[in-house]
Amino acid sequence: MSAKPATSRLGPSSIPVRAGIGLRAEHYDAILETRPPVGWLEVHSENYFGAGGKPLDYLERIRVHYPLSLHGVGLSIGSTDPLDKPHLAKLKHLIERFEPALVSEHLSWGSVGGRYLNDLLPLPYTREALYHLVARVSQVQDLLGRQILIENISSYLQYEESSIPEWDFLAELVERAGCGVLLDVNNIYVSARNHGFDPGAYLRGIPRHAVQEIHLAGFTVNRFEDGEILIDTHNRPVHPAVWTLYRQAVQRFGPIPTLIEWDSDLPELAVLVGEAQQADAILEERHARAA
Amino acid sequence: MLALHELQRRFAAAVLDSDGSGFEHHIRAAGLSGARRLQVYRNNTRLGLTGALEAVYPVVSKLVGEGFFRYAAAEYIARHPSRLGDLHEYGGFFPAFLRAFEPAAELVYLPDVARLEWSYHQVFHAARHAPLDPRALASVPAERQGALRFQLHPAARLLESPFPILRIWQGNQEDASETSPIDLSEGGIKLLVFRRETLDIEFQPLRDGEFNLLRAFAEGCDFTGACERAMAAQPDFDLPAHFGSHVARGVVTAFELPNDHFST
Repeated sequence: MSAKPATSRLGPSSIPVRAGIGLRAEHYDAILETRPPVGWLEVHSENYFGAGGKPLDYLERIRVHYPLSLHGVGLSIGSTDPLDKPHLAKLKHLIERFEPALVSEHLSWGSVGGRYLNDLLPLPYTREALYHLVARVSQVQDLLGRQILIENISSYLQYEESSIPEWDFLAELVERAGCGVLLDVNNIYVSARNHGFDPGAYLRGIPRHAVQEIHLAGFTVNRFEDGEILIDTHNRPVHPAVWTLYRQAVQRFGPIPTLIEWDSDLPELAVLVGEAQQADAILEERHARAA
Repeated sequence: MLALHELQRRFAAAVLDSDGSGFEHHIRAAGLSGARRLQVYRNNTRLGLTGALEAVYPVVSKLVGEGFFRYAAAEYIARHPSRLGDLHEYGGFFPAFLRAFEPAAELVYLPDVARLEWSYHQVFHAARHAPLDPRALASVPAERQGALRFQLHPAARLLESPFPILRIWQGNQEDASETSPIDLSEGGIKLLVFRRETLDIEFQPLRDGEFNLLRAFAEGCDFTGACERAMAAQPDFDLPAHFGSHVARGVVTAFELPNDHFST
């Protein structure tokens, strides 16, 4: 009988099965003034690691109106360096203050020997790396006192060392560490094109129950004389081929909260809202079929 | 077969130090070469860190031009690698780096403009602090007031430069209306960078008395010592009026008596 309340003192506490958008500083005022009809918002956790000031002030005012997801880009969870405890303490403080419904990190590393590249770097998919990730994800979940989601990244190289397909690596990580999956459909598409694997095989490799959030974004094609490479630039609309793959993902995993990410060459808020409405339409089709 | 740590170490060397030394052999050759694929990560890392510097130092970037800024940033990144996953912490040594950066030596004011931008960045993200409670101050016995140590708001910074860095900063904002050239010989400035309760950041040029009073507080000087420094710097300094105004505006936020905390 103790149904979870739909709102906390901060605002709505669970992510609805709808499309949301990434919240960026350029849109703070427009969000507050127009309150666009998107289901939820996601922010980069590190953008709110400061002790005070406008970012936290805006987030506090916006949080009242929207459910929130915290998405980390700097933890370097796959590094062999010790975990950055002060970083995790800031994240934990943020979680306590803003009560996000979802907290996510990346299947990547970004630092070694104390030097940070501040990028999402691919791991070799080996047993050694898998056990390392299982231990690290478990440690983070223990320190934060909650489950986290792990997102697949876009990658531009594969190591000779890798012996496990990325989807199997992620599936086994989920199984062993008890984390969830943030499935970035654009990243699957980008990596599949860059490395020549079947994106459908990726979707089929991820357990149905594991996916709690989906990301969609735009990519850029860089062409060279010896070939081309797709870069995950988050600076344009979702590509038609990625919408197609998204339909397949929704087909397999059911309707899942879906985020439109856009980080550079930011358009007007209405453009993001339009992308979110496209995702909503696909989610609703699936709802209707299930009904 | 490289173990995970060794692979990460050599990847970082190949990307940050351009020390490839055969790392391409660990990259699966499929279409594009390993060298080309590694170059993507070099670009991403350089663009990410340069972007973080540009976000904190837009005026420096405007003064030297985009191309030169990227060159300076590449040198800075090589000498001062990022040490944290949170990019907002990156770039604190950039003013000192610029001071010793020979190719920019002609722009003598550049390191001080960079200091102003770093102060602005720090103030922007600083903690909130409640204003000083005048009743707590009034409760300190008169004979002990000279021993009080006042503290500045976490979002307050003091800057001193022999160059007109505030005019340079203001003249290079995107919405700057002033286009008249800035005369370096117009002299230096003593400046308070302060974030108000509204979270807007303001710059207040200070005369010698006020600047020395606040700087003495920031350095942990007691009230008597701070007043002496202010009066020595500016004999006509109206101490009660200026002190009162900085308390009222929240620049001076707290005080303590040694062995006796009256406020936080």
